[in-house]
Amino acid sequence: MTNRHLIALNKRRVADLTLLVLLAGIASLYCFDAARASTHIYNLIMVLPLSIAIFILCTVQFVAVLRSESIEAEEAREPTGALPVIVLFSLYVLSLNWLGFDVGTAMFVGVFLWVHGERRWPWLIGYSVVFAFVLTFFFSQMLPYPMPMLLPGLANAYPF
Amino acid sequence: MIDVDAFFSATGMLFSSGAPWLIVIPGILIGLIFGAIPGLQISMAMAIFLPITLYMDFMQAMLFLTAIFTGGGFGGSIPAILMNIPGTSSALATAFDGYPMAQKGEHNVALGIALGASCFGVIIGYTILLLLISPISQIVLKVGPAEMAVVILWGITLIGSLSSGSVLKGMISGLVGLLIGTIGYSEAGVTRGTFGSPYLLDGVPVIPAMIGMFAASELFRLARKDYLVEDRAARQVSVRLVLVGFRRALANPWIVLRGSLIGVSVGAIPGVGSSVANLLSYMATRRSSPNPESFGKGNPSGVIASESANSTSEAGSMATLLALGIPGGGATAVMLAAFAMHNITGGPQFIREQTDVVYAIIIANFGQAFLLICLGLLFIPVLANVIKIPMNYLVPSVLAMSIFGSFGLTGDLSGPLTVLVFSLLGWVFKRYDYSVPAAVIGILLGGMAEDSIVYSYQISGGQWSYLLERPVAVVILVLLAVSLFGGKVAKFLTGRLGR
Repeated sequence: MTNRHLIALNKRRVADLTLLVLLAGIASLYCFDAARASTHIYNLIMVLPLSIAIFILCTVQFVAVLRSESIEAEEAREPTGALPVIVLFSLYVLSLNWLGFDVGTAMFVGVFLWVHGERRWPWLIGYSVVFAFVLTFFFSQMLPYPMPMLLPGLANAYPF
Repeated sequence: MIDVDAFFSATGMLFSSGAPWLIVIPGILIGLIFGAIPGLQISMAMAIFLPITLYMDFMQAMLFLTAIFTGGGFGGSIPAILMNIPGTSSALATAFDGYPMAQKGEHNVALGIALGASCFGVIIGYTILLLLISPISQIVLKVGPAEMAVVILWGITLIGSLSSGSVLKGMISGLVGLLIGTIGYSEAGVTRGTFGSPYLLDGVPVIPAMIGMFAASELFRLARKDYLVEDRAARQVSVRLVLVGFRRALANPWIVLRGSLIGVSVGAIPGVGSSVANLLSYMATRRSSPNPESFGKGNPSGVIASESANSTSEAGSMATLLALGIPGGGATAVMLAAFAMHNITGGPQFIREQTDVVYAIIIANFGQAFLLICLGLLFIPVLANVIKIPMNYLVPSVLAMSIFGSFGLTGDLSGPLTVLVFSLLGWVFKRYDYSVPAAVIGILLGGMAEDSIVYSYQISGGQWSYLLERPVAVVILVLLAVSLFGGKVAKFLTGRLGR
């Protein structure tokens, strides 16, 4: 096993352990939050046993990961290809309140296509604009509540 | 069991003229479209088109609305199979094996199986309803929170069997899902786990969470591929293969029958219905299979089990609506509104006095199943072309559609934000081998389980022996025990006898 594999393997194990600590921590936090709100049995009848069970299982798994030796080097490889998509998608969702569904969607689809190798500008712009327009128009007509929009007149006005 | 006079009167009402059937075809098409678009729900379609039914007589209104229901029941399987988006909770288990089949290039067969199992299921479900509508309604009256808790517990046991890798990680995923499902207001009148967000007061929106965990997290991974199916030859759309799938569903009558029985009985329970029925049927089929480890990797039996149960649960919920006037979910609630618009009240008196109308509604569903076959076979080849779209176009389009759909479900930005948060959680879970299906089932059942446990606790005063005083709960518990340990006990006994 090469040094690169060993580093990846250790990274993987650290990430595994961190996730377990996070899950156990969030479950415990939730349980404390619930208990602080009320210690009535109706409030804790599910939350308390579930949190305890998660904490115990995470502890058992934590020990198992610490003691394990054989993580396949192939599995330990870091798949980072999804990160740009995640960042782009997060920006899209978080900006919907400002960019609206119309412009936000066109920009998201356009940037996504460009990042993923589409260099035919008529296609890139045409598809993202037409797709965003059709989707926005369809949903704004079908849904009974206003959608955030940047362009006035495309659909129902959103009370910003 | 059947009132023969009323039966013949009902057939006369339906077949004396073609008029009642004219509104069935558009109804099925509306259902197919709304079911196939993630985020648009069957209940939404029915609510949108409800005002039109004012201009119809009661029979026609019910035919139209049940046609939307029938079309939507199958329509929901299309995005579940092609895009891993269970647009409704009743199509959750369809995605478990349907999507892996699509990835292997078996999308035509998977869609055909879903169509066959749905239509076959509708026919079986309504046959059971035709024969047993009165006894079913009597049983439903005996179902209380204790029985619902046991049924939900049955669904939760699926969590343990869904972990293809580490069992421990599968259990952690399921329990985390259950915990997430309890976020929001509790029965004690306080809020928990909302971290100050007003969006979470009513709990985590379940369907956006499902879309995020299943679809969006998968799309992040698929963005690096050129096509959903890499092999060009396997991307072809073939009506012949759809028919092969259709026949395969019919070639597994026992799975369909089991799914249908589960669908009718669980579907009749208000509030639980098809969300749990498809999971129970999937679990029962997986447990009885000689090759259980192939489930979740594209086993056609998984699609048959899920689709037969979710389409039949429609019949179960109709039993509760017609016989008791109780809506089991959103779609039947809209039908109840149609009842009110026509000054009709569902219940024992309605069944007794207008048996012919009840029978006509049931018989019409047989016709709808046959029409669904024709329309489905026309519709599937068009939709299956999704598989030919390059991933750099498909991924942003589906992600955007899921965001629009989630907004449509919640009416505010909590839907899109839920998709985002749960897509990240799903991506992390997949990357570190935690079971996403188990977590999703947990989220789906967590709130329901807590409610029914609290209600049972309130009624019983904390005495667990109360469960044993409820005959229906005992029967369900016995069935649960048989489904969990029956195979092992039988194997043990045959081993002992064989020695």
